[in-house]
Amino acid sequence: MLRIRGLVKRYDRTRADAFAVRDVALDVGAGEFFTLLGPSGCGKTTTLRCVAGLETPDEGEIRIGESVVFSGAQGRVMPVARRDIAMVFQSYAIWPHMTVAANVRFPLEAIGIRGAAAERRVAEALEMVGLGAFRDRPAPLLSGGQQQRVALARAIVKGASLLLLDEPLSNLDARLREQMRVELRDLQRRVGTTFVYVTHDQEEALALSDRVAVMRDGRVVEMGSPHDLYLRPRTAFAARFVGQADLLACTAARPEGGLLLLHTALGPVLSACFPDAPGPRLSLLVRPEHIEFAEEAASGPNLVAGRIARTVFSGRLVEYVVALDSGASLRVQGTSGRLRAEGDAVRLRLPPERCVVVEGLPEDAE
Amino acid sequence: MRAPLAARAYRLAPSLLMGALLVWLVAIPLAFLVLASLRPTGFPLDAGLTFDHYAEVYGSPGLWRLIGNSVVFALGSVAIALLLGGGLAWLVERTDLPGAGAVRALVILPMATPPLLMAIGWSMLLSPRAGALNLLLRDLLGLAEPPFNAYSMPAMVFVQGLSLTATAFLFLAPAFRNMDPSLEEAALASGASGWMLARRVLVPLLSPALLAAAVFLLIVGFVVFEIPGTLGMPARIFVLSSQLFYLASEAPGGLPLYGQVSALATLLLVVLLGFGLLYRRLTREAARFRTVTGKGFRPRRMALGAWRWPALGFACAYFLLAVGMPVGMLAWMSLMPYQVPPSVAALALATLENHRDFLDSPRVFEAAANTMLVAAVSATAVAILATLIAWFVVRLRVPGAAVLDALAFMPVAIPGVMMGVALIYVYLTLDPIIAIYGTVWILVVAYTTDYLSFGTRATGGVMAQLHPELEEAGRTSGAGASRVLRRITLPLMWPAIAAVWIWVLAHAMRELSIALMLQGRDNRVATTLLWDWWQGGEPTRAAAVGVWLVGALLVVMVAWQLLGSRLRRGSG
Repeated sequence: MLRIRGLVKRYDRTRADAFAVRDVALDVGAGEFFTLLGPSGCGKTTTLRCVAGLETPDEGEIRIGESVVFSGAQGRVMPVARRDIAMVFQSYAIWPHMTVAANVRFPLEAIGIRGAAAERRVAEALEMVGLGAFRDRPAPLLSGGQQQRVALARAIVKGASLLLLDEPLSNLDARLREQMRVELRDLQRRVGTTFVYVTHDQEEALALSDRVAVMRDGRVVEMGSPHDLYLRPRTAFAARFVGQADLLACTAARPEGGLLLLHTALGPVLSACFPDAPGPRLSLLVRPEHIEFAEEAASGPNLVAGRIARTVFSGRLVEYVVALDSGASLRVQGTSGRLRAEGDAVRLRLPPERCVVVEGLPEDAE
Repeated sequence: MRAPLAARAYRLAPSLLMGALLVWLVAIPLAFLVLASLRPTGFPLDAGLTFDHYAEVYGSPGLWRLIGNSVVFALGSVAIALLLGGGLAWLVERTDLPGAGAVRALVILPMATPPLLMAIGWSMLLSPRAGALNLLLRDLLGLAEPPFNAYSMPAMVFVQGLSLTATAFLFLAPAFRNMDPSLEEAALASGASGWMLARRVLVPLLSPALLAAAVFLLIVGFVVFEIPGTLGMPARIFVLSSQLFYLASEAPGGLPLYGQVSALATLLLVVLLGFGLLYRRLTREAARFRTVTGKGFRPRRMALGAWRWPALGFACAYFLLAVGMPVGMLAWMSLMPYQVPPSVAALALATLENHRDFLDSPRVFEAAANTMLVAAVSATAVAILATLIAWFVVRLRVPGAAVLDALAFMPVAIPGVMMGVALIYVYLTLDPIIAIYGTVWILVVAYTTDYLSFGTRATGGVMAQLHPELEEAGRTSGAGASRVLRRITLPLMWPAIAAVWIWVLAHAMRELSIALMLQGRDNRVATTLLWDWWQGGEPTRAAAVGVWLVGALLVVMVAWQLLGSRLRRGSG
């Protein structure tokens, strides 16, 4: 559906090293919910705007469906208006001088659909986002969540085959954001359009997407399903960006019964999840919620002992910082079902299937 | 990878076209002016090269007095304007002044009173021989001599100060209004006294706005001609702008001394462009430290207590001095057969002769029609150009946007007399090709250029506030550039464009110095007619023209105010 190859965009034409986007390649399938995730300034919004045609890349090729909308080699740039896309903006960009219906009708007018056919489609789109009763309301008299829905209706009304969303939920408050997240996912399933979604919120990205591309400094660092990205990331950066993570520098010692034995600051650790050809710079990833408190008498691999140095109680969950006897420290997440006090001696078990070896040292993830 | 040639030409076209137009309107006249100052004949395209004009002007013994007068006049009037305007703005925005809303609405009244009419009104009040107020005070206080003299530097400074007060108010009121009260509350909560609050928090917060207003008003103080021309020239007190006028149109030899005009103008231009740059820098800084937070808040209002009524008296006194007395005097004189001070006895003399004469005369009709034509066409031209320039510079960021912006800003620093002289050079030289010299169209060119700086500031400001995503949403909806402009950008910009149109209309209607310099065969306007009658010893006929002009301006200003309040409501 969307195919990007060798995309390059410099933010300063006079400097060779001023990259906003460098050598990005992506393939998004039809009907997929695809997310570009990364910290601010990583090039995710620039990539999206290049697809929309709001910015012209310096090099590369972008193809939407069968049509080449940008080709650096052929010097070809298709105007925004002729691309088979629709877009939802961070600020919603609802036109304040129009009513709700007029906002939603605008894309139809632009492609020459008028009269009863247009009205029917406007009504359908508004119905789809639950704003059927608001059609004649002047746009400035809407709440943030309602404006967000108008923006969505305006984006789906003309039936473009690619919908681009630039941090559409970031201006909503937390509760509304969670609600809109569910609605957005439902909407995408119902209309079946391909969504390309930009966000810096990893939870949002994981909850919504079929696939996520993690970007950093203008490049795609890692791409995969939310499940793989969270549980089996390949890089230290992606591992830390998508969720809480303790990263420890490690070296691979030797295979041991299908597992990999690692040397770490915690002592020897067995991992069930490692790259086929480990490079020289490796880290061990353990997520706080995967670490288990072990019984006093427990035996087996990946057991470490220490004392609880600090607890942070936040109701449902309790976070502990455990100072290990080896001198290292680990964050561990528990529930409030069983509370432990600061100073308690504990033994921890790191499940080998959740001990993931990733490329890059912990400092590479900063 | 280079864009293909056609795409590059397409990208450069707006810059090149608009750049060429602005160079034509702004840079060419100024270049001609500088060139003329170096020609023995004083005409830019004649042969020869000389510094004689500079020697003449800068070697003249009167030069330092001229500069001294100009500085005293500009600084004095700006000081008065900031004091009165700042005081009014503070009272209206930050205190419980009774009737603050009415005062805010009435501040536009002085803007409907052209400086020329204010000067004429005050000269009728304070002229040493026949000034009505002078005679009244002399008789009341039993003095031997009339106490005031309208034809003196203090009177010039006083009247100019009054005429700039409304502008100072408009600059400072938003700064007072937009100051976040939490900043003051934080200071009070830290234990600051009232005086410390004012000195350490309020003044520093306001200083960018105050400084920007001061520099802008200083430019105006150096550029204005009307008041120095009306009150200073009869007593041979010259400032730079009236000296330019004098050299160009009333020089002793009878022939305009264009060479000297240009040499003097060049100095003024350098100084004023310096001020202009300073102003631009200051306003940019001010925008960076803007105290507006975007959240709605109610500013703290100081309780005036027993001072409420004296404060209201101060506001009323300002309106009386700036509008009531001069315009009342004009109205009275327009009903008199000759200059008679107001009294019950003189009422018997009242006649509508001047007004009838004004309405019947074809000469007057022509002047009125010219005024409306020139004002309407210039206003339209400025509105269109300013919108396009703002679009190119702020939104499209075309190549060379900074140059376009600077060129469009320069006219603010060009005195009307200088603009007039420069355009004389350009269009006398080009008369065989572009025959607009002496017609209303040369006035249209002059006003369009002169008011472009105001226009681009206003439209650029609004354009910058317009979120670019509003237009991008139009483009990603499948609309082409022209549909986005027509359906989204222009409707959203419309109130600002209309406000620019009305502002230029009002200012073109009241402008005198450019119209005087470019006066020719058939481009007489209301203000030049007024000037001729006033200078020609027919004050009562001039007064009648003045009354009608104030009436017309009032209509325009009320329209502006209504539009402004609709705009505020719309955005609020």
